[in-house]
Amino acid sequence: MSTKLINRRQFIQFIALASAGWPISGFAARKTPAQKIIGQQDDLVYSDLADPWLSLAEVQEHLLPADESSPGAKDISALRFLRNTLDAPDADTEEKTFIINGVGWLNDLSVKNHQQPFIKLNSSAKETVLRKIETSKAGSRWLSLMMTYIIEALLSDPVYGGNKDKKGWQWLEHAAGFPTPTTEQVYYKLADNTRRRIKS
Amino acid sequence: MKTDYDVCVIGSGAGAGPVISELSKAGKSVLVLEKGPWFTEEDYTKDEMACCRHSIYTPKLEDEQHVLEEQNNNGDWLSESTSESGWDFWNGNVVGGSSNFMSGYFYRLKPEDFRLLSEFGPIKGANIADWPVSYDEMEPYYTKVETEVGVSGKIIAHKHQEPRSTTDFPYPPTIEHPIVKNIDKACNQLNITSLATPRAILSQAANGRNSCEYSGYCGSYGCHSGAKGSARAALLDAAVKTGNCKILPDSKVYKLKSNSKGRVVEALYYDENNITRSISAKLFVVACHAIETSRLLLASTGPKHPDGLGNNYSQLGKNLLFSAGGSGTGEFHYSDMDRLAASAMKTRGPFVNRGVQDWYFFEDKAFAGKTKGGIIDFLLRHPNPISKAMSTRWNNDDNLNWGHKLKRDLKTVFTQSQDLRFEVFNDWLPTDNCFVSLDSTIKDKWGSAVAKVRLGYHEHDLKVGEFLSAKAETILQQMGAKNIRSSVSGSPPANLVAGGCRFGKDIKSSVLDADCKVHDVENLYVTDGSFMPTGGSVPYTWTIYANSFRVADIIKSRV
Repeated sequence: MSTKLINRRQFIQFIALASAGWPISGFAARKTPAQKIIGQQDDLVYSDLADPWLSLAEVQEHLLPADESSPGAKDISALRFLRNTLDAPDADTEEKTFIINGVGWLNDLSVKNHQQPFIKLNSSAKETVLRKIETSKAGSRWLSLMMTYIIEALLSDPVYGGNKDKKGWQWLEHAAGFPTPTTEQVYYKLADNTRRRIKS
Repeated sequence: MKTDYDVCVIGSGAGAGPVISELSKAGKSVLVLEKGPWFTEEDYTKDEMACCRHSIYTPKLEDEQHVLEEQNNNGDWLSESTSESGWDFWNGNVVGGSSNFMSGYFYRLKPEDFRLLSEFGPIKGANIADWPVSYDEMEPYYTKVETEVGVSGKIIAHKHQEPRSTTDFPYPPTIEHPIVKNIDKACNQLNITSLATPRAILSQAANGRNSCEYSGYCGSYGCHSGAKGSARAALLDAAVKTGNCKILPDSKVYKLKSNSKGRVVEALYYDENNITRSISAKLFVVACHAIETSRLLLASTGPKHPDGLGNNYSQLGKNLLFSAGGSGTGEFHYSDMDRLAASAMKTRGPFVNRGVQDWYFFEDKAFAGKTKGGIIDFLLRHPNPISKAMSTRWNNDDNLNWGHKLKRDLKTVFTQSQDLRFEVFNDWLPTDNCFVSLDSTIKDKWGSAVAKVRLGYHEHDLKVGEFLSAKAETILQQMGAKNIRSSVSGSPPANLVAGGCRFGKDIKSSVLDADCKVHDVENLYVTDGSFMPTGGSVPYTWTIYANSFRVADIIKSRV
């Protein structure tokens, strides 16, 4: 049923490729420690951003840019969705590491080819860097994951932190089903909460 | 000998529900061991993340998986675990099983389906067999499902209508989507009979259950209203209320222990804390998904059954079935319609209750003589927005799609057209290349060997599927659809699986007898789709329910 599962074998191949061709950068690691878990309703997620989240937010906005008639990544709070999801109890830690390490690779390439980190580049240079990254298997996988999270942020229930004010659904004229999940029914709490209720 | 319970049932889906319900109501003490959790109606929301993006209603593949064998172009069988491929073969491991998540298309088999070999003769390379029971014996139980589980619909006379003991369904059809008028009109113009599809969904409140709420999210989702005829909503809740039925969720049976006489004495299982437990009963019923039922019996070796329960003639796990066929799509662009028609086409909620059975049996020059065909069913594209949006993620040049182009594509996919899909169902012929065994290396999280499934198909399946698919395309063309495309392949739908423990008269060619009792085990029955020697050309659920009611009557007289 799930279509998002990481193909483990490919993942190992990506890591191997990354190690051979894309040395794991200290770029992400030497930035400030990751902030504590962002709550689902926390609108401060875009305040005082530091890497890796600063670069990830910039990538998200490039992949889903705002325009006059439709929301961009920040409008739907795509970063809040990403952080909530990566910090969820059942999150794949390898996937989280892969996403975060990708920021290092991204900025290494950006500095190498354009002498500046990704966030300082203009739109055209950002596109060039991302399309270059896409040519490697690991890079393509990283961008594919980023796109998956953006699409989920755009169209999942707002309870997960994206689709802020249902802007994604409204833009695409999507009629949601009912009932929608409560904060206690999000996918990573549902089974445990159900078990507790059945026992009580 | 004193036992803990009269009957122990392993599994709680469509194959288990009627047995549990009927025996509980008859005053028997029934214990149900279900591997998954016990979600209720209040837990089932319309959340795509829970239903379809994460493994919440099914196990995580790193914990429990399958190994699948497919044939490459050189004829070699190559195996890959599902945790490697991501090809998830679970359907719904919760109380009520996958019946919680069905769309509820309900079809009876036809009398000829019970005697496929006699009616149509052998096909080289296929292990076709007649059933040991007839349609007439099953008919009262099909009828019982209509009232007990709840089937809504409307009988329309047609040349392949199966005999019925009642004139019509107990519940009228669910509310229908406006597009059915277009389907009916096109079929009429083509001289094709358009039929109302019966559904296991209540169109009226009944038996303590609500009517459908028409939220537009049915298949893949658990039902919040109770209208969908899942085993849980229709049967298990009432069984528990009798006071005779106890359901233990999160209880994974890993072996049935048999004694020196070959009789099953205990079910061994892991409880919610992964502690091993055992339970004794006079009689055991296994109904935990066709593949997993074969797996459990293969793992249940004993003094009289060294290769697994019911496997003394190497029949266990053999002749696994899926549903053959394929699917197709046509687009109806709002820009081609006036405002009212476009508004109607955008309707969300009501069902596309239309199907075609004109070619259930047919004669055509491409086939030799009278041929077994199948059905065509129509449905709208699933409304899951994330899934729909994911289809825009790649450009035609295989590069990722992003930026303003992605946004234009998203807008088009979501707002410019309604997609009408069709599905074709035809027989997946049983062959020597489709079976279940135990994998020799990969274990589940409890250390038990996982099921290995060989996924071979018969070329005849594709030929029939393509014949039906071409017919379905003519209907879409007549309706004026654009960008019509379809696909028929031998890739099995993991949610439509049966066989592996076929029933029959001869122990040397079947696992179960006509009562669905394991031939040489006096107190072990199998009541999920495993019993089917051939699958017919419709979704299996109604037949699984009906057969379980039939076997429940047999068991009632024994305990």
